[in-house]
Amino acid sequence: MEVELPRPDNPAMTFDEVSMERSKNFVKALQELKNLRPQLYSAAEYCEKSYLHNEQKQMVLDNLKDYAVRALVNAVDHLGTVAYKLTDLLEQQTLEVSTIELKASCLNQKLLTCQTYTDKEGIRQQQLLAFIPRHHKHYILPNSVSKKVHFSPQLQTDPRQNYLHAKSRLQPSDTPASKTLSWHLSSETKSTLKGTSQTLASNEISKPPAPASEVFQLVENGDNARAKSSAALFPASNALVPSLGITHRELEGSKPLTAFRSFDNPKRDIIRAPVRSKSVLSSFFVKQKQMKLKAGYVA
Amino acid sequence: MARAGGITNAVNVGIAVQADWENREFISHISLNVRRLFEFLLQFEATTKSKLASLNEKLDTLERRLELLEVQVGTASANPSLFST
Repeated sequence: MEVELPRPDNPAMTFDEVSMERSKNFVKALQELKNLRPQLYSAAEYCEKSYLHNEQKQMVLDNLKDYAVRALVNAVDHLGTVAYKLTDLLEQQTLEVSTIELKASCLNQKLLTCQTYTDKEGIRQQQLLAFIPRHHKHYILPNSVSKKVHFSPQLQTDPRQNYLHAKSRLQPSDTPASKTLSWHLSSETKSTLKGTSQTLASNEISKPPAPASEVFQLVENGDNARAKSSAALFPASNALVPSLGITHRELEGSKPLTAFRSFDNPKRDIIRAPVRSKSVLSSFFVKQKQMKLKAGYVA
Repeated sequence: MARAGGITNAVNVGIAVQADWENREFISHISLNVRRLFEFLLQFEATTKSKLASLNEKLDTLERRLELLEVQVGTASANPSLFST
């Protein structure tokens, strides 16, 4: 007498093996359902022959009734098994498709990221060659300004700020009450330069410092005498001039300032911004272009 | 004697009729269950068809997306120098 050893369960099955097992079970159940048909046909023929040839017809009839009930139950059982296995298989396939869809979406997102990165890199490389202005041409401050704009003469200014200074001098005399930022910056520059020039004068030159108006007296076309005198009075200021971006050429083509004060004084006189001639500005713009080209080549 | 025979015949007919009715009832039960089984099969077929149709549609969409991804990956891998720093 052989003893059948129980087969150990194999829990460590891969997903493919499980799906394969499910498919095999479904095919097996379907095959058994298909085999029911010839069995039922053979049973029906046997019952018919036995009822016709047998004398105990009532017994045959009773057996036939029992067999019909059991056959029906068996068929329902087989159909249920096949339906359950088919539904389970379809759910598994749907789950696999959903998983693959998620993976495809993940890949799509990765590709989109790479594409965005390449686009950004390309734009960044192209941007180095093109000049993109960072600031607006001028800022307009409100009328009731209590802010003080600091401007140190020792700092090296950008060419753009010098451009702003030059631009501010182009402002017409009938500007509204709100002053431009560049104009204020230039006014502060002059006030601070006045203070530093005074200290330098006390250290180096014995002569008393000239009034501020003389230092910042901007001469019109062709008058170099005052510019030379101012340069002679304050030779140290020449060191400050490049840092401030103010050149003699700029000073030549400008009108003298009437008066100006800093923001600290509450009572301020109405000051008109000086107007520069076009020739000075055009020369200034040429300088700006040269500086920009140099910056572009360096990059 | 004849009367007893007549009564016996009547009883037999009665029994036969009752048996016939029982058989008919049994047959009706069997046929009803077979019809219910048939209805279940129809419903199961409709449900399975709709599930298979949706699965087929999902697979078609997935196939197109994978084809697109394949082309995109091929385009991206054609220029590997783009991703080098």
